[in-house]
This record gives sequence, C-alpha cells and structure tokens, in this order.
Amino acid sequence: MSWAPNDLARELLAQSLIAWRVAGSVERASDGALVIGGIRKDIRIDRAQPHLMFRWMVTVDGRKRGAVSLVAVLRQVREALDPGYAANRVRIAVAPLVPSQ
Amino acid sequence: MNTDVIPVSILTGFLGSGKTTMLRHLLGQPEFARTAVIINEFGEIGLDHELIEASEDSLIELQTGCLCCKIRTDLAQTLSDLLRRRDEDRCALFDRIVIETSGLADPAPILQTLMTDTTIAGRLVLGGVVTTVDAVNGAATLEHEGISQKQVAVADRIVLTKLDLAGLAKSVLLRRLEEFNAGAPVLAANHGRIDSRLVFSSGLYDPQTKSTDVNAWLAEEAHGHARARHDADIKAYAIVRQEPIQAIALTLFLEALAEHCGDDILRLKGIVNILESPNRPAVIHGVQHVFHPPAWLDRWPSDDRRSRIVFITRRVSQGWVEVLLEAIGEEVADLPVYR
Repeated sequence: MSWAPNDLARELLAQSLIAWRVAGSVERASDGALVIGGIRKDIRIDRAQPHLMFRWMVTVDGRKRGAVSLVAVLRQVREALDPGYAANRVRIAVAPLVPSQ
Repeated sequence: MNTDVIPVSILTGFLGSGKTTMLRHLLGQPEFARTAVIINEFGEIGLDHELIEASEDSLIELQTGCLCCKIRTDLAQTLSDLLRRRDEDRCALFDRIVIETSGLADPAPILQTLMTDTTIAGRLVLGGVVTTVDAVNGAATLEHEGISQKQVAVADRIVLTKLDLAGLAKSVLLRRLEEFNAGAPVLAANHGRIDSRLVFSSGLYDPQTKSTDVNAWLAEEAHGHARARHDADIKAYAIVRQEPIQAIALTLFLEALAEHCGDDILRLKGIVNILESPNRPAVIHGVQHVFHPPAWLDRWPSDDRRSRIVFITRRVSQGWVEVLLEAIGEEVADLPVYR
C-alpha cells in the first residue's frame, strides 16, 4: 500500500458520504491526504507515520486522532459528521475466526 | 436423548393472507407429521390455535403479544422448554418446528432470536422463511403496509393464496413480488393445500437428507443477479468474489455493516471462501445488526468456490457494500501476516 491514502480509500469515503446522505465530496490534497469538502467541518485523512501504532490519522477541525483501520476511520468521520450517531459497537461473543480442525 | 439439529421454519404473512389455513392442511400431510408448531396470536383472544389440529403436546400458543416486539424472551423460553421435553421423551418426537407469526409481525426479530439466544443456538437451525400472500389483496397490502413488504422481502419461499378469487389481480401481484423479492420461488396454495416438501425445503438445513443445501438457500440472487425492487428503498443484490477473503476481513466487514447500516440490512446470507479455511466454507447469516457466528460446512457443496453473499437491504447501495469489502480486504492484505 502506498504512503498516501489510495484511490480505494477515497472511493470508500465518497461512497460512505452517499450512504450516510451527507452532501459532501472527497478531494485529494496536494500532499496526497484525503479532504472531505462541502461540509461544515474540516476533515482530513492521512496515513499515519510508520512508527505509530495507527495506520491512519483523522483530523477533525484541527484535532488529530489515530485510527487503526479503515473501519475506524469511517467511524470517526461519521461521528464528526453526525453528532447524534451512536455506533452499534457492542461485541460480546468470542468466536473462532476459522473452524477448529 | 435425541439431540439432532432441528430446523425452525417461520411462517409469516400479512393479516388474512392464509397462514393458518395452509398450516392446517400441511399438518395433515404425512411428511409433516413430526412437526411442533408454535402459534403467535396478537390480541386477547387467540383463535388460530383452535383451527389447527395437532397433538396437544406439540402445539404451543403464544398469546402474550406480538412475537416481534414483546415476547422474544418468551419465544426463546418456549423453544428451550420444547427441546427439553423432547430430550426427556415427554412429548411426541418431532424433527421440525414451525413458528406461525401474527400477521403484523416483523419477522426480523424472530430470526434474530433464533440466531442469538444461547439456550437454543446449537440445537436449532433456521429452516427458512415462508411468506403467504393473498392474491386478491396482496398488491394493495404491499403498497401500503411496510410490514408486508418486509415479510415478502425476507422470504425464502412465497406462497400465493386465494388464487381462485384473484383474476387479473394475480399478474399485477406477481410483478410486485418480482420487484420485492425475485430470488424467492413463488408457489401457489389451493385453498390451503400445498406440498409441504415444496414449502419447507427452503432452509439451509434439509431434515429429510440431514444435509445442507447452500445453493437452494441462497437462491437466484446469489448468482449475481442484482434486483431493483419497486420500493426504491428496498434492494436485493449479491456480492460475488473469486478470491478468498481473509477471516479478519470478513469480521471487519460484518462489523462495519452492523455499525453503519444496522436495521437497514433486512437480511444477509452467504457462503464465503475463507483464505485460512480453503476446504471448509463459512456460511454467514445476519438480520439487521445481528449476525450469527459463521457455521462451517464440512466441504464445498459444489465446484463453485466463489464467495457469494446475498443482501436484502433498505437504502444501502451495492456500490458502498462492494467498495467496503474491497477496501477492507486490501487493508488486511497489507498486514505483515498476509504479505
């Protein structure tokens, strides 16, 4: 994966805005970061520095937070766009990811 | 003690659509003899159970309210009690359970109960959703009743009733059903009479052969035919992947769907080729924000080893689902363990 967020990440964010019925757009900044425009907040998504434990950095109105995955990026962006959004994040059961042989 | 896995079929359909009449005839068929029936009636005075002739110890009436909104715990408790009586030989041996919902029931929470209640999961498997539709009034009901749309959308089989009275209404209704759920075969009941083997062979698990039939369960939409439904909000489509999917990618994908779509995933079912388990595919099943832990088949049911996931959604675009899975898969593939 290249250093800057790739086109797939951009497409995912753009499709997510449509799915959430948010009238915004996802643009690429000159440094490669993704910037969500057309909304009342400044949201920017960068790849995190390699020495950090995060893969992504999400900056909302100047406040920077790490995100470990694209799923976490989506969660942060949606929370920024929709303060009333309550993510369904309860996960209780521990189940094997693959079958026991 | 007999601890076979028992399929539970859900018989649903809007008020007056002929569920009870059909069930009464089905129970008279030899193939249906070993069936326990749970009837959910809405209201103070239940009548449906009076219309069903079945041995008393295999017929249970749930009268405390509508299954979908009030008594999910009652349903789980009832099923649990039924299994215990069966295990202790205190009732007629049954190898199938049918739950007849009230006409106003949303089938989704009932499906969720079957998938998630720890006291019954493992003993019971979803045997399919059968939805009756009144051929005379069905089109109008679909037009105006959201619950009716949902009952049709999640069906594995649709049974038309009152066809003798329908006339020209039948063709209109068939078009509407095609728009709402093209994947489910449409059968016809003649005054409630229908072959039970056609109706209740729609689930993942076939009690006759004691085997799984994934292809029949996934139905037509799993083969890549996206269907636009009349209600622009409700759509059915299938995601097909040639390449195996990493286990963690599937987990993240399902979590993201549950988190962002919640109740708008009316139903999801599929067979997935997991990278770490190439010979044992995962069968996944979800209703709204609840996903059943994957069931692992012993082998692939056919030479087709593609992952196929069928979605029935409300206002969730196929484009978003496709790119979500692709992006997560690519990110996971970039992890050192997969490089």
